[in-house]
Amino acid sequence: MIREKETTLYLGPQHPGITGNMMVKLKVQGDTVVKATTHVGYLHRAFEKLIEQRNWLNAFTLLCRFCVPEPDPMELTYARAVEELDNREVPERAQYIRVIVMELARLQSFMLWYAGQAGSAGLYTLGQWSVGDRNYILDLFEELTGGRIYHMYIWPGGVRRDVTDTWKDKVLKTMDYLEKRQDDYNQLMFDNTIFQKRAKGVGIVPKDKAIEWGVVGPPLRGVGIKSDVRIDEPYEVYDKLDFEVPTAEGGDIWARALVRKEEFRQSISIIRQAIEKMPKGDYYNKVPNPMKWVVPEGQAWAKTESVRGEIGFYVVSNGTNKPYRVHAKGAAYTHGVTVLEKILPGQNIADISFIMNSLGVCPPEIER
Amino acid sequence: MTELIKEQHLLDSLTSAFKIKGRVIRDRRVEVFADKKMVSGILLFAKKQLGFIHLAHMTCIDWIDENKFELIYTIWSPIEKIHLFVKTKIERENPEMENIDSIWDQANTYEREIREMFGIQFPGLIGEQDFALEDWDEMPPMRKDFDTKKYALETYYQRPGREDAKDVRETISERSGTKVPDFAKKYSREK
Repeated sequence: MIREKETTLYLGPQHPGITGNMMVKLKVQGDTVVKATTHVGYLHRAFEKLIEQRNWLNAFTLLCRFCVPEPDPMELTYARAVEELDNREVPERAQYIRVIVMELARLQSFMLWYAGQAGSAGLYTLGQWSVGDRNYILDLFEELTGGRIYHMYIWPGGVRRDVTDTWKDKVLKTMDYLEKRQDDYNQLMFDNTIFQKRAKGVGIVPKDKAIEWGVVGPPLRGVGIKSDVRIDEPYEVYDKLDFEVPTAEGGDIWARALVRKEEFRQSISIIRQAIEKMPKGDYYNKVPNPMKWVVPEGQAWAKTESVRGEIGFYVVSNGTNKPYRVHAKGAAYTHGVTVLEKILPGQNIADISFIMNSLGVCPPEIER
Repeated sequence: MTELIKEQHLLDSLTSAFKIKGRVIRDRRVEVFADKKMVSGILLFAKKQLGFIHLAHMTCIDWIDENKFELIYTIWSPIEKIHLFVKTKIERENPEMENIDSIWDQANTYEREIREMFGIQFPGLIGEQDFALEDWDEMPPMRKDFDTKKYALETYYQRPGREDAKDVRETISERSGTKVPDFAKKYSREK
């Protein structure tokens, strides 16, 4: 066998896959990756620094933009950390509304994942379908919050507006539609030989290393470890709802896809239950004048389950009307750097964006 | 406090093993304060003996009034379902902290970010010098004494025609010679 010459190849920074701008510097032999070094730095917007110079509520306009496909988990996590500092109770109705919003956010993110995962394997039809259907969820968000992508709807103390019965009906009808529609997606994705051949045995996360490497979310459940913030550390009203945490074996792209396929179903089921059980009452425990609102001194850590895994916020107050320090850590922070660098060697160049989508790499979240 | 037995037990095992102070914050939250030399020992002990196998988060806070940096390691035990915060304060002058990426590989990313944003050195840290910033030769930007506005004013220039930062309606009215209607005037920045 002739040993092929080693070449350096730069993947990105212009959207490798549809993940966002980052670069992976590769050493390759033929088509096989020998070494991968990630390089972020194309999306740094100094959000954390800017948040320190704004009041507690102004932060929402910035932090929902940490990761474009998933703005709502950021809002909720920060709001929960601030509530902990301020000892602020959230009315039960608001907690149910938050759960519905979170699960709708998960669904729209799953649909982007369907598009990205299938698109990076060349199955473009599925991407057109799921991104098209995603608009029905964005319509719901628009009606509820006024915004399609960024909502700034979840606030410390509750949510900004109450939901109406008409909106709830609309949500239920959309869920019926999506449930039927998912069968079409699955047929196009999971029954497809191309997808099966490309996904099975590719991008394996070893089970014994997964937790140590900081793997969270579907990639961790894809190695057979049942871990989900919603049951490990229940927040809002997740402990009053009945849902499964699916797992799969193998740790490859196929296993992660199976996990997400089932989680999509679970999200629909959670939304239906939350709508049914939602009590009447207040939706907002009003905060004082935001310009003068002083949050007591202290430090708080909150975490939430997003589509890609746990999102955590460390929020520090020094007893003024501005956050002293806000630090966010999303799933991509580990998946997009160390995990990616460790599993890429030995893979084919063509599979890189496929693997990145499967791990849920979101560069804007890494550097914020 | 009966429901916080697990947390109290964890705190007791750490304080007796290391002679450090700490407290139970609430359910699932325990914090300990340690000297910087003890941090890696505590983390290793918590990982190997107490089941805290997941490094959930690591961050730095600049306490400029105290002239200290505070480093916080958040670790999580999937079995006990508790978060343990290991906190330490280090001097702000020539800050240096022990590198823990041999305990958790992923700590490498956090440390690279902290090195860049706060200027704390971690001896033996492998990885490119740049993380999110490129060709940055100013003060590490997340330090509290870095003034974002001053930097922006010194580095960038105003877009021509907007030096006076006037309301756009007024600029248009000046150029075209028409009057701003009364209802629009109240939005002017001049007032």
